[in-house]
Amino acid sequence: MLRINITCLRAWVLAGVLAVSLAAVAAFPSTARAAEPIKIGFSMTLTGGLAANGKAALVAMEIWREDINKKGGLLGRQVEFVYYDDSTNPANVPGIYTKLLNIDKVDLVVSSYGTNLIAPAMPIIMKKKLVFMTLFGLAVNDRFKYDRFFQIMPSGPEPKTDWSRGFFQLAMSQSDTPKTIALLATDSEFSKNAVAGARTNAKKAGLEIVYDKTFKPGTADFSPIVRAIKATNPDLVYVGCYPPGAAGIVRAANELGLEPKMFGGSMVGLQYAALLTKLGPQLNGMVNYDFWAPEPTLDFPGIEAFLEEYQAKAREAGTDALGHYLPPYAYAYLEILGQAVNAVGSLDQGKIADYIHKTTFDTVVGPVSFAKNGEWAKTRVLMVQFQNLEANNVDQFHKPGKRVVLYPAEVKSGDFIYPYNRAR
Amino acid sequence: MRIAPFWPLAAATFVIGVAATFYFNEYYFVAGYLVLQGLIMATAWNILGGFTGYVNFGSAGFFAMGAYTSVVLYTAINPPLFVVIPAAAVVCGLLGLGAGYLTLRLRGVYFAIATLAMAIVLETLMVNWEYVGGAIGAFIITEDVPFFASYNAYLFVLMLALAIGSVALARYLNFSRIGRGLAAIRDDEVAAECAGVPTLRLKLISTTVMGAMMGVAGALYPYFVTFVEPVSAFSLIVAVNAIAMPMIGGTSTWVGPVIGALLLGSVQEWTKVNISSELNLLIVGVLLVGFVALAPQGIVGLAQKFAAWTREQREKRRGDDSATA
Repeated sequence: MLRINITCLRAWVLAGVLAVSLAAVAAFPSTARAAEPIKIGFSMTLTGGLAANGKAALVAMEIWREDINKKGGLLGRQVEFVYYDDSTNPANVPGIYTKLLNIDKVDLVVSSYGTNLIAPAMPIIMKKKLVFMTLFGLAVNDRFKYDRFFQIMPSGPEPKTDWSRGFFQLAMSQSDTPKTIALLATDSEFSKNAVAGARTNAKKAGLEIVYDKTFKPGTADFSPIVRAIKATNPDLVYVGCYPPGAAGIVRAANELGLEPKMFGGSMVGLQYAALLTKLGPQLNGMVNYDFWAPEPTLDFPGIEAFLEEYQAKAREAGTDALGHYLPPYAYAYLEILGQAVNAVGSLDQGKIADYIHKTTFDTVVGPVSFAKNGEWAKTRVLMVQFQNLEANNVDQFHKPGKRVVLYPAEVKSGDFIYPYNRAR
Repeated sequence: MRIAPFWPLAAATFVIGVAATFYFNEYYFVAGYLVLQGLIMATAWNILGGFTGYVNFGSAGFFAMGAYTSVVLYTAINPPLFVVIPAAAVVCGLLGLGAGYLTLRLRGVYFAIATLAMAIVLETLMVNWEYVGGAIGAFIITEDVPFFASYNAYLFVLMLALAIGSVALARYLNFSRIGRGLAAIRDDEVAAECAGVPTLRLKLISTTVMGAMMGVAGALYPYFVTFVEPVSAFSLIVAVNAIAMPMIGGTSTWVGPVIGALLLGSVQEWTKVNISSELNLLIVGVLLVGFVALAPQGIVGLAQKFAAWTREQREKRRGDDSATA
């Protein structure tokens, strides 16, 4: 009996010691706040499914840090990054942002890449009332409605439908107006959202939807899908997919002779050097979304110097050789934050947010102003048409005339070749 | 009356955990939450994997179904968490019962394959169910709760209570009549059946309890990440950790998964912010291979071996002493 009580007593003593030691640790906060550099904290997809983009973004962000430090930094202080790899796993994000804010004591935060990795940080950022510049999330703020949220992808104030607005405007303004459409999407967040927007736009335009299906990520053989689409003989084919799907669908469409009047949509991957070079002439005539192309109408101040520097670093980092898609925007989201901090003259988050809301920023991706919900005030999802592409030539993508901008009108850089088979 | 030291320790852990939310910053709760989530998953896995000897590769399926039960309830009526958690336990417990009934005729590797297939089937269902967001995913918006410093502190305290409850349940099963029956099944199912152990009933109890526990661990996940989509909810990492933690700790007792989860979970959280998140998987892999090859009984097995060895040495010395005397 005595023995049992001793074991019990031991357990209580052990618990007591634990409690006292925890309290002792709490009484002495571990780090004092450093006064000097301004720390910008973020999580990034450096490994896992979105690693290729995350790494490219980081290269661009580091270029911005060097540039701003050369110019004297923010508020006269040098800029430092504190970042962690979230390995494209949303469950890692809350831990990273709480560490950044509570232990690393960063002064400013920006987001990781993509909707899945932005959303988990939102409650933490909102609780601390921080300005949150985010990178390529689709309609994240529709649900949170946070007034210090900003998003750099040029989707526009109504992200889901603005995304494909250009595609439908182009189609419906042709004399030989299309009547039917086929919709195809990968079973994944971005693709399904993009195609959902296209579905709304198609209905609004009075098009008949003759095919509307999804496929699993990892699908290797697209010939059955393309055959099924071809059998419905649609005037338009709108596809939302990721790079592996884009490669497979384009190849299958070429092999099986799928020739609607317009073909393309939201195919991620047709902006990267590797896939563009590999597919080459198979892309001719397709109309797909893009965010930047070396066209004269998109020659914004600073973009050329940025890309030159990025491309030199990309060779070492092994990231996308062109860097037209994400990197300029990863540079720009910091550029905007930096410009706002310097203009406000302090780190007062409320003032910085107000300033960002009412200002049009000059950035490497052109003038940027934000709508009330933190998205771009006006959509600038480009619709580009691939024209006159040659096989196995990466250099052609550095020159204008290959990805001709058709939409929006203010940055239009060439004529739309319609229907699709005329550009083949 | 005899009170096992487990209970004062459990009570003290809970009180310290709650008190700590007022002293420490949020990061520790977020990290602690993930360690505790691992602990519940490991404890649950061990009830079937360790006590009964049936290896389940589909843990992520149960976990995600817990998460999706939350999403369904949130979308429909947004009830408080004390309704969500039991609901997830019921749904996943029934899922465990059903899956057990269908698959427990299979043994060894075939059972493992069936559980893996079940997780894939469930994932496909969720991808195509628009009500819970399908492949697009669903947002869960959380609101501050009174008394707690932050929502994450609140989740941590809930998770702590659930973890203690799970461990207590596993401990009860381990020492009870059921636990001895399960051990008999693990050692030799045919012999157990012949000796009058109601094998099917016991196996169904263990799959049901396992499913319910994993569902409970998953129920809070949507509130933790605020955005759920099938790929991350059905993540392989969840399943791998649920296996690795008991393997490292030791599968034969309820203590093993607790030790394994606290150790591996803390190491993972530490490496995530100090070295790299990707290294986590490597660490899990290396430790798993190491323990399976060198110490298949895990840390608990090593400790038992060490205790036996010291006892032997002591007795030997005593024997020598008496011989010289």
